[in-house]
Amino acid sequence: MNFQVTPMKISDLADNTGEWLRGTGAESDIVISSRIRLARNVARFPFLSRANVKQKRELEEVVRNKIKEAEITSDLRYINLADIDSVDRLFLVERHLISREHAGGEGERGVAFGKSETVSLMVNEEDHLRIQVIRSGFELKEAWKTIDEVDNKLEKRLNYAYSSRFGYLTACPTNVGTGMRASVMMHLPALGMTHHIEKVFNAVMKLGLVVRGLYGEGTQVSGDLYQISNQFTLGKSEVEIIEIIEGVIPRITSYERMARKALVSENREQLEDRIWRSYGMLKVARIISSEEIMHLLSQVRMGVNLGIINDIEMKTLNELFILTLPGHLQKLEGRELTSQQRNIIRAAYVRKRLEMI
Amino acid sequence: MKCESCNKKHATVHLTEIVGTVKKERHLCEDCAQGINQQLAKIPSPTEILTSLINQVAPEISEMSKIVCPVCGLSYLEFRSHGRLGCPMDYTIFRKGLVPLLEKMHGSTQHVGKVPSRAGKELIKKNELMQLRNELNKAVEKEDYEKAAELRDRIYELSGDTDED
Repeated sequence: MNFQVTPMKISDLADNTGEWLRGTGAESDIVISSRIRLARNVARFPFLSRANVKQKRELEEVVRNKIKEAEITSDLRYINLADIDSVDRLFLVERHLISREHAGGEGERGVAFGKSETVSLMVNEEDHLRIQVIRSGFELKEAWKTIDEVDNKLEKRLNYAYSSRFGYLTACPTNVGTGMRASVMMHLPALGMTHHIEKVFNAVMKLGLVVRGLYGEGTQVSGDLYQISNQFTLGKSEVEIIEIIEGVIPRITSYERMARKALVSENREQLEDRIWRSYGMLKVARIISSEEIMHLLSQVRMGVNLGIINDIEMKTLNELFILTLPGHLQKLEGRELTSQQRNIIRAAYVRKRLEMI
Repeated sequence: MKCESCNKKHATVHLTEIVGTVKKERHLCEDCAQGINQQLAKIPSPTEILTSLINQVAPEISEMSKIVCPVCGLSYLEFRSHGRLGCPMDYTIFRKGLVPLLEKMHGSTQHVGKVPSRAGKELIKKNELMQLRNELNKAVEKEDYEKAAELRDRIYELSGDTDED
């Protein structure tokens, strides 16, 4: 089978994105994507913080070979993160193929993913293996089905660290048990504009769920994008955890729809003006910072959902959130750029994508 | 110069005390200086203060603090300061300290999710063995030695490839 090990050209990926940004699937006007990750460790090896260079190398080799044998998808490729530079690693973080911790880690570590970028397997992250599945729209159950199958294929080949009391044993006790984090990325501009977002999140937190920014733990919320995920991993089954999240998401989407309706009925002209101004800015601006573009894209995205703007595809907008990030712009240009240079290139890139050069 | 504390002996110890921005000099005889030293010794050291604080916040730490995992060498204190465990065995070694922590984090300490098929087979085997041993005991009680021998053979057969840990 085709199992490409580095070198692969990361720049080949730079002009498109993974399938999870297609903008399809249930509730995809508000739910951008559904993601599940499983943390797994190999028995009889220390966790990575206590593993020496030799053990890390051995682990990387064992896990990589088992992933290869498991034939997860026919087009799986593997990148050794120690072989690529920091811009390439940032690029993979921006695509949600690896985590920030994985990018900034040390020693032998890598990631395997297929062409659709739906499944990714991180080797030697905080745990020996982290399996991830991302799907477009509100599709947690489907994501669980896929990741469960991938996990089954791997557990036949790898002896996971597991106890009947504590479940899958992980380096951090916050992940023990199912080792599962399920999260849904939502676009909630109207709840933000009407200042109802805090109320919604307080209710969500009471259910034991957490709200984070676009890139998970400790990241800032930008572009009105929020990730809602489970905090606890022990004491409930994977399906039960997914059902708790699944129960709360429709309530948030209906609040967001209500807030949008209220904005339209209160002052349609003002709302339309805001949205069209944002769209105009994307089409004509010469310098756009990464913070500003998130805001502009968020406004335009809502405009498309409300039927105010009709000449731009949801897929294009979703992709622009990722393709205009610093790592992607530098990959597109093929060189390192200062923040000022990026702001100019970002504006030019968006104008080109919106065909208004 | 006479000792400023007892006013009798000759001052041989000269101390400079700085409180805030005020500098204060003290001139004492050896006996009085020693008295002050002993008073100073009564003030708890930073380690003692820390230990008493930890005892208030997380009482299991002082009890667990001497425990070190024989497999990965991680101490319970290191785990509590970094929040990361060193190897799968730590869940057994630090169990006593971990259980209340897990209860706080997850509201539970018992896994009810997925079971790896490998572990599943072991579990099934363990349960079967337990049942056979019960039957064996009953057979011995009833003095049914033929049945007991048969059961014994099945137990040997089953447990042969089990790593009982």
